[in-house]
Amino acid sequence: MSILEYAWLIPVLPLLAFVIVGFLGGKMKDNGAIVAVIGVGGAMVLALWTAFEVLTTGVVYKPESMEWVVLSSDYSMEMGVYIDSVAAMMLIVVSFIAFLVVVYSTAYMHDQGKRQRRYFTEICLFVGVMLGLVLANNFLQMFIFWELVGLCSYLLIGFWFERPAAARAAKKAFLVTRVGDVMLMIGLFLLFTEFHSLNYELIWGNLTTADQTTLAFAGFFLFGGAIGKSAQFPLHDWLPDAMEGPTTVSALIHAATMVNAGVYLTARAFPIIATSADVSLFVAAIGGITAFIAATMALCAPKIKGVLAYSTVSQLGYMILALGTGAFLWNQGHHEAGSLAFGAGLFHLMNHAFFKGQLFLGAGSVIHYVGTEELSKMGGLGKYMKVTSITMLISCISIAGIPFFSGFWSKDEILAMTFEATDVNLWFLLLWIMGVATAFMTAFYMFRMWFMAFKGEPGEGTKHVIEHGGHHHEAPIAMLLPLVILAALAFGSWLSLFIGDGFYSVINVEGEFHALSIIERLEEVFSSPLTWVSIAMAGGGIALAYYTFNKRRISAENVVSKGFPKAMRQLLLDRYKFPVAYDKIGYVGVYGFSLLLDKFDRYVIDGIVNGISKFLIKAGGVVRKSQTGFVQNYTTLLLLGVSLIIVLLYVVGALR
Amino acid sequence: MDYSAIYPELILALFAIAIPAIGMVVKNSKYLAAISLTGIGLSMLAVFLFFYNGTGPIEFDTGLLVLDNFSALFMMIFLCVAFVVVLASGKFIENEKHVPEYYCLVLLATVGMLLVASAQDLFVLYLGIEITSMSSYALVAFRKKDLRGSEAATKYFIFGGFSSAFTLFGISLIYGLTGVTSFTEVGAAVAGLTDMKEMLWVALVMVIVGFGFKVAMVPFHSWAPDVYDGAPTTITAMLAAGSKKMGLVAMFKFFLIALLAIKADWEIVVAVLAILTMTVGNLAALNQTSIKRMLAYSSIAQAGYILIAIAVGTEFALTGGIFHIMTHAFMKGGAFIIVATLATVAIGDRIVEYKGLAKRSAILAFAMTIMLFSLAGIPPLAGFDSKVVLFSSAIYGATDGSEWMIWLAIAGIINSAISLYYYARVVKYMYVDELEEGEKSEKLKLPTSMLAAIIICVVAVIGIGVWPEPFIEFCKDAAAAFF
Repeated sequence: MSILEYAWLIPVLPLLAFVIVGFLGGKMKDNGAIVAVIGVGGAMVLALWTAFEVLTTGVVYKPESMEWVVLSSDYSMEMGVYIDSVAAMMLIVVSFIAFLVVVYSTAYMHDQGKRQRRYFTEICLFVGVMLGLVLANNFLQMFIFWELVGLCSYLLIGFWFERPAAARAAKKAFLVTRVGDVMLMIGLFLLFTEFHSLNYELIWGNLTTADQTTLAFAGFFLFGGAIGKSAQFPLHDWLPDAMEGPTTVSALIHAATMVNAGVYLTARAFPIIATSADVSLFVAAIGGITAFIAATMALCAPKIKGVLAYSTVSQLGYMILALGTGAFLWNQGHHEAGSLAFGAGLFHLMNHAFFKGQLFLGAGSVIHYVGTEELSKMGGLGKYMKVTSITMLISCISIAGIPFFSGFWSKDEILAMTFEATDVNLWFLLLWIMGVATAFMTAFYMFRMWFMAFKGEPGEGTKHVIEHGGHHHEAPIAMLLPLVILAALAFGSWLSLFIGDGFYSVINVEGEFHALSIIERLEEVFSSPLTWVSIAMAGGGIALAYYTFNKRRISAENVVSKGFPKAMRQLLLDRYKFPVAYDKIGYVGVYGFSLLLDKFDRYVIDGIVNGISKFLIKAGGVVRKSQTGFVQNYTTLLLLGVSLIIVLLYVVGALR
Repeated sequence: MDYSAIYPELILALFAIAIPAIGMVVKNSKYLAAISLTGIGLSMLAVFLFFYNGTGPIEFDTGLLVLDNFSALFMMIFLCVAFVVVLASGKFIENEKHVPEYYCLVLLATVGMLLVASAQDLFVLYLGIEITSMSSYALVAFRKKDLRGSEAATKYFIFGGFSSAFTLFGISLIYGLTGVTSFTEVGAAVAGLTDMKEMLWVALVMVIVGFGFKVAMVPFHSWAPDVYDGAPTTITAMLAAGSKKMGLVAMFKFFLIALLAIKADWEIVVAVLAILTMTVGNLAALNQTSIKRMLAYSSIAQAGYILIAIAVGTEFALTGGIFHIMTHAFMKGGAFIIVATLATVAIGDRIVEYKGLAKRSAILAFAMTIMLFSLAGIPPLAGFDSKVVLFSSAIYGATDGSEWMIWLAIAGIINSAISLYYYARVVKYMYVDELEEGEKSEKLKLPTSMLAAIIICVVAVIGIGVWPEPFIEFCKDAAAAFF
């Protein structure tokens, strides 16, 4: 019929590239880079086309799914494809950014030699499974890809596995998200017992008749999975460590794949979460808290990628806040507002993907040039890296929330919806205040980063590069082009609000949306005092950063040299002691308990098992000896066998 | 007379007869293998067309041969086994004498299996078994200068003779008692039998012993390890994956149709023998040093699992039995062909020689791991799915008056756990144990045709394992057609 029938090929192409590069990449001249570009590029073309088809026709593509395992007549698991507008949007974001990252990688990873094969193999797998996750039509299939996404992130974060820090970070990412995965599994079990299937539509369609308590718990546990994957408080701490991987991997994890999976899951679970006001509020609260505390940690992060990592956590918090608020409003009967908040969350996901992808790739370009990640050693790079500095500036403005850049539109909508929910529940006022404070901090830390890297006196690293005459040129075209394209989108993705009936007419809950023309929207947005509050916050943050880190009117060193600010700074650098807490829980709690179990296992269980196995192997020896190889002995055995059967027959006969 | 019911057999038989003649001109083993593969492929096509047309059962002659879902499914399994075996043989026997005869005999053995699959009559069944047996005796003795092979063939022949004698004796007693030879008529007659019950019991003993030999049921299994060990490895694959399964099909027909009326008399006997078979098979496999012998014992154990289907005797159980035969054909056939492939590059069949295989040939080590784990029943591989169906049928079968059936499932599960030891041991050799200085460590160059055969098995095992639903449906249809 149409391109949609080939939608299943979208994840298959990168997976095919994964197999080809994995097996043959070592023999190729470019270590499989071109295959990866073609595989992911093909997926992107197909994905964009598919998404276009779904978004323009407005028809949900859901072919009949294959029965996978039928446990009994009414318990079944299936495999299938489901592409609605949300999935279509995800397809665009994931495939497009992944493609740019892969193109960028061909230049960025060039100095890795033979290792590129492993890199491109894993990247292709990563992209393929993420696209598979988006296309799933049921939670089980999603979960399988979900776990594979986790595996890939583990492999890629630990790409330089010989560095202890990278190996540790990979392990941490894997273990911490695992906590969320277990919760997700519990959620899936609950849903499966309630609905006897994990099909999205079947579950969404039967929510009203299902047991509401079970649903509330299921929603809670499903969201638990998102807490892990999308690095939400209190499982957020793995993401900053994940910076140990190559920068391109960070770009992929932060913008296109891993962390978005959690938000996507929350969007899929939205109808379930919305059945319970408490769970919705919980989701919103987690989002708000995450946004706030991650932003504080970004304030004084010393490394360029560190700032970006905290910023991601914080922005993800916004998205979760939006979804939670939406679910809450929906639950309270404010369907239109709830739908708008839901749309705003996903709108922010899209915008964030573009500007954060750009920022990471830009940071990669900076690190590539200057050879260090320490912001304090940069400075003055703007002169030498025109394209990088300008494109990153666009992204910084966008994430800070300055009007007419994409970040403004989604963030403002999220804050507006949160404020609207205060009418129903006063807790949202607190969340709104946190959100606004976060907006201020976001503007501040992003521009702190930008000024420290590109303006002011050249730092050690910059000087070093210039003096040694290194490369005065910027990065190669394969790296610059993705930067420019993403910067254009970081500015312009808000235009999607005004294509056709606009973004919210497509991305919403069950067709609930408030159609607005361009003028009406502009009027609504800019007539609201809330908008001006958030603009003021963004402007204030930028101004503060400008005076502190560019004009140096305010000395950052003096501010944090003593007293409370110093202690506060140390606390932030220690990430509120979260890593220590993880370790404590891990070492003392879990490890202690497992030591206990180990003792039990070693002495009690192993004793029994070893006894049995010793006996079995002895018995095996005896049986084996009976195999003499002599036909005479075998016929004796035959006679015994016949007698045995006869005896058995008579015993059974006599018993009956 | 509807000849379309026996097209698969006819095509194969024609090729079998033609190959020695072609062999006068074409000497190359690979070309002959290709011709045999064509025959097998055409035969498969005939079976496929039956499925495709969906015409329902086709009878060749009433009560003689039938092509229905049951027989067609087994034909497909046997043909797949033959296909894989021939594919691997092209290279494996290229330097031997009497190559054309080899392919001729393999095809003839397969014809016998197909006949057994579609037999509706005691004597047709017997004929099919004999065709297969005679061909396989010669095939086991194929390397006549090889002492072990000759010894194996002699033993196989002696015990094959025993088996035939017992079976024939049992069949003739049944014929004497009932006066009919078609399974359904025998079934009806046995149900109506009032006196001479004792003679029926004698027949029962004879049939159990006769088929017990064929499927290597304990305590009639003792020939199997020696024969599997001594035969050319591709033939071992055929014996384990094909002709032993033929014996099980024959048992299905005998016990679940002809002797169903007196099930109460034999079900416990079969159950006890099933448990004995799987336990002895697994225990004996634990300490083996030769991988072929280990796999031979593992085959015995697997036959024990399949016997559960007969002891339980429901449609569900038969579905499980058929499904396990299907998966076992691929995993055991695949495992033996891997052993055969390694033999072509001078890696013998002692398990220690598999040390460090992962470094020398990643593909073979991986394929072997898949096969062994599937045999052990680890998800998501085919062996897991079929064991689940089979064992759960015993649990569902355990209703009023047959609570003991649950023990079949328990025994099966405990045995699976035991078996993991010897399967995993091979994997440990391949992956964990490092090669020491001075041991051969160069990469292996493997023949493509054999690799292709292995890859077919790997794909089948993983494919069925990950998506079992359509295959279970096939087995269900087959079981439904059977009853």
